[in-house]
Amino acid sequence: MLAPALIVIILLFGGGLLLALTQSFGFLPVIGLNEFSLAAYGQLFQDDVFLTSLGLTLWIAVASTGISTILALACALLLRRPFWGAGWVRFLFQLNIPIPHLVGAIGILLLFSQSGLFARLAYLAGLIRETGEFPALVYDPYAIGIILEYVWKTTCFTGVILLANLQTLGDNFEDVARTLGANSWQRLRFVTLPLLRPAVLSSSILVFAFTFGAFEVPFLLGQRFPSALPVLAYRKYVDSDLTSRPEAMAISIVIAILITFLVLLYMRLSKQAVKRV
Amino acid sequence: MKKVFSSLVILLLAITACIGGEEGAVTDPASYNNWEDVVEEARGQTVNWYMWGGQDNINAWVTGYVADNLKEQYDITLNMVPVVDTADAVNKVLGEKQAGRDSDGSVDLIWINGENFRTMRQGDLLYGPWADDLPSGQFVNWDDASVNTDLGFPVDFYESPYGKAQFVMIYDSAKITDPPTTMDGLIEWIQANPGRFTYPAPPDFTGTAFMLHMCYHATGGHEQFLTPFDQAVFDDAWAACWAQLNEIEPFLWRDGSTYPESHAQHDDLFANGEVWFNMAYNPAEASSKVESGQFPETTRTFVFEEGTLANTHYVAIPYNSPNKAAAMVVANFLLSPEAQLSKADTANWGDRPAVDVNRLPADQQTAFNNLPRGVATLSDAELAPFRLPELQADWRVAAERAWETFVLRE
Amino acid sequence: MIKNPLKNLGRLAIVLGVLAPFVPLVIWSFSFRWFFPAVLPTEWSLRPWLTVFAPQTRVWIATANSLWIGFGTTFLSILIGIPAGRALGLHQFKGKTVVEFLILAPTIVPALAAAFGIHIMFIRYGLADTRLGVILVHLIPVTPYTVLILSSVFANYNPDYEDQARSLGANPLQVWIYVTIPAILPGIMVAGLFAFIISWSQYILTLLIGGGQVLTLPVLLFSFATSGDSGLTAALSLVFIAPAVIFLLLTSRYLTGQNAALGGFGRV
Repeated sequence: MLAPALIVIILLFGGGLLLALTQSFGFLPVIGLNEFSLAAYGQLFQDDVFLTSLGLTLWIAVASTGISTILALACALLLRRPFWGAGWVRFLFQLNIPIPHLVGAIGILLLFSQSGLFARLAYLAGLIRETGEFPALVYDPYAIGIILEYVWKTTCFTGVILLANLQTLGDNFEDVARTLGANSWQRLRFVTLPLLRPAVLSSSILVFAFTFGAFEVPFLLGQRFPSALPVLAYRKYVDSDLTSRPEAMAISIVIAILITFLVLLYMRLSKQAVKRV
Repeated sequence: MKKVFSSLVILLLAITACIGGEEGAVTDPASYNNWEDVVEEARGQTVNWYMWGGQDNINAWVTGYVADNLKEQYDITLNMVPVVDTADAVNKVLGEKQAGRDSDGSVDLIWINGENFRTMRQGDLLYGPWADDLPSGQFVNWDDASVNTDLGFPVDFYESPYGKAQFVMIYDSAKITDPPTTMDGLIEWIQANPGRFTYPAPPDFTGTAFMLHMCYHATGGHEQFLTPFDQAVFDDAWAACWAQLNEIEPFLWRDGSTYPESHAQHDDLFANGEVWFNMAYNPAEASSKVESGQFPETTRTFVFEEGTLANTHYVAIPYNSPNKAAAMVVANFLLSPEAQLSKADTANWGDRPAVDVNRLPADQQTAFNNLPRGVATLSDAELAPFRLPELQADWRVAAERAWETFVLRE
Repeated sequence: MIKNPLKNLGRLAIVLGVLAPFVPLVIWSFSFRWFFPAVLPTEWSLRPWLTVFAPQTRVWIATANSLWIGFGTTFLSILIGIPAGRALGLHQFKGKTVVEFLILAPTIVPALAAAFGIHIMFIRYGLADTRLGVILVHLIPVTPYTVLILSSVFANYNPDYEDQARSLGANPLQVWIYVTIPAILPGIMVAGLFAFIISWSQYILTLLIGGGQVLTLPVLLFSFATSGDSGLTAALSLVFIAPAVIFLLLTSRYLTGQNAALGGFGRV
């Protein structure tokens, strides 16, 4: 029964990764590449462009994941109880989920660029006199525009998951805590948050992995140099000099290994943290 | 796991069954006796035309006027495939050659010139020679050096001319009444108006062209480089250019800490008054952007007194295109007086003709001369005396690489 | 309400935050000549919308391709996901953790890496530049989600009803149609929604494997977004999100409230 799913994963995904790996070694006999070499990797780790991009990508992923997870928790807690218009607000919150990142990025660009809607409002309010005085929030060195888009999208993603979890958990545990005399902060800190921990952990892993490996948003909102690793890999892949291809493959393999490593590390650390509590 | 394994085998078999068709016939130019044969074979074929898709009015002209006429007159389906950079299409053909797909390629026609043409010729990736067989070729002046060589590389009829372009500077006359029309004047202006100027980062096509103007100026003239590439000369002479570009860098938009990624992004900066100068390798582009509401109505253009770069752009057919006949018919149609006239109309595109207007029938000559120019477009008389030649592609590629090292990352 | 002004302020912030990026999209899509510092367009116009729906923009071809690929991917991934979800949700077996790990791997490791590697094989075997090839590569990011959602649906599913139906004389097909499918239908809807949305939003995998020839809405939109006509880009963005929003509206009742399927993400 598992066969069809495993075929997709093993053949297409695993096979693809394996082919990327062999091509990163400059080795693919079917197309006449018979020499095995680590040159592409050697080049990468001596290359400032690659190392700077790596740093930027890590920053984007860590910042986006951290900010969006905290915001998502706040949103889920604000939206869990009934209030006037709750149905509509929850629906709006979900509405964000099917919006592609591509559209989110365009929206962020039109809002936050130095001639965007916010800059125009700032002009109206007399805060700036010309576009250059508005802070550079897109195509900027700190990738603020990219992070804004990721936070906008993934806060809703994580928030919806946490909301579903909160509703499944119900109020029982908190009621017990209340009868035992816990105040609202204590209930949150020692009951709700620990119960949500698995959901927070898994959704933040998904968000981290996604923001580390995605292409569209950094391509549309990022600076040309340094660029996020997936953008760098793609540029190398479509370079008209085919000798750049092993490097493109090597970058994507490095992305894959790094994400796996960081996710495993994160899971380990959070398990230890659970034990300490 | 046994089940998994057997399903894997079945899927692999299914995939290998799809391999067929690797031995398809390779048509060489000699196999057509006359043009009628080509047109006959082209009937019903689909042409995948890979072209830079960065300007909406050009795309609309291709998917509208060109596609409709090809369908109607020749029963050819034109599939325009927009690419961010022509090098993507070159890379695709290269990748297919590498994967052994020698006869059933996916690209039938590429809008191309310069270094991409040279890359494809040197990699044996183009079909040809065929361009001199086109009936519309009679209107082309093949003796003109700006047509028979493409950035210093012989065309040898491996690509067919499609249009001509000249670099122009764009400004808003509401902001600048008297723009500096010399390189020295521009450099002075940049330093006197910090944050008001920038250029797209090479290898963006427009950005590279602007950089070359600066380099022609800083190195004391292009004449010394009209030879095959020489690394020693390049290293020696062009350092002056990087020094010049670094000298103006602190006065550029965002203190030169970053550059617009693309020509389109630069357009946006210009439209909103973030920067006061723009540039285009197409004299009519500013006018069409005024018409589409993207640029202010007071937008105007000028050329440097030292001259601006001019070149010809072409279409070429990859060696593994399965629809060469139809691709040639498309190239022939693009070169026809009707298509060239429609293309030259600012309402459509405003591209300068690749045909020699003097070779056309009298009524068509009149039609060309009577075309409205558009509010921001200079006349041929204002452009023609100020044309500078492009260098051979190696110089250009070397300069693009050097710009990244010495200007962007310094 | 009066009790919690701060909380209501927070809720208002959520609404505004979610809606903010749509505001410029809507305004731009009706604008003509809208330069800094004008807060609203100096000239309003239907030009972006008329251009978007003009035949030479090819928005209909792109929509058709996107739908074809979206539904194809959804159908295949559900077909793959139901048996796998059942196996993982209902049964314990040796190596289950390994299988789960494998199936979830593409949610962590980006599919782009695999697509780079497999591209050359797709070119060789004629799958590159075809809609089938694009569907196959979309299956990589989609399959983990459908399997995951369906397995958490099956985890809450009681197969005893199937035995009862069988003992009442139902044949295997009848059991599926009258017992299993109705029981897991909400899960199938949620899984299908996710599959469709993931496929619908793909850009880079489509561009790479479809080679630009398989023109989908994201490919078209990206081309507009990088050519600098903000009005056109905004109008096409709104066209692009419409079907996904409609799809969500149709299935939203399966998403809200106590939902085992979404809760499944807690187990990733």
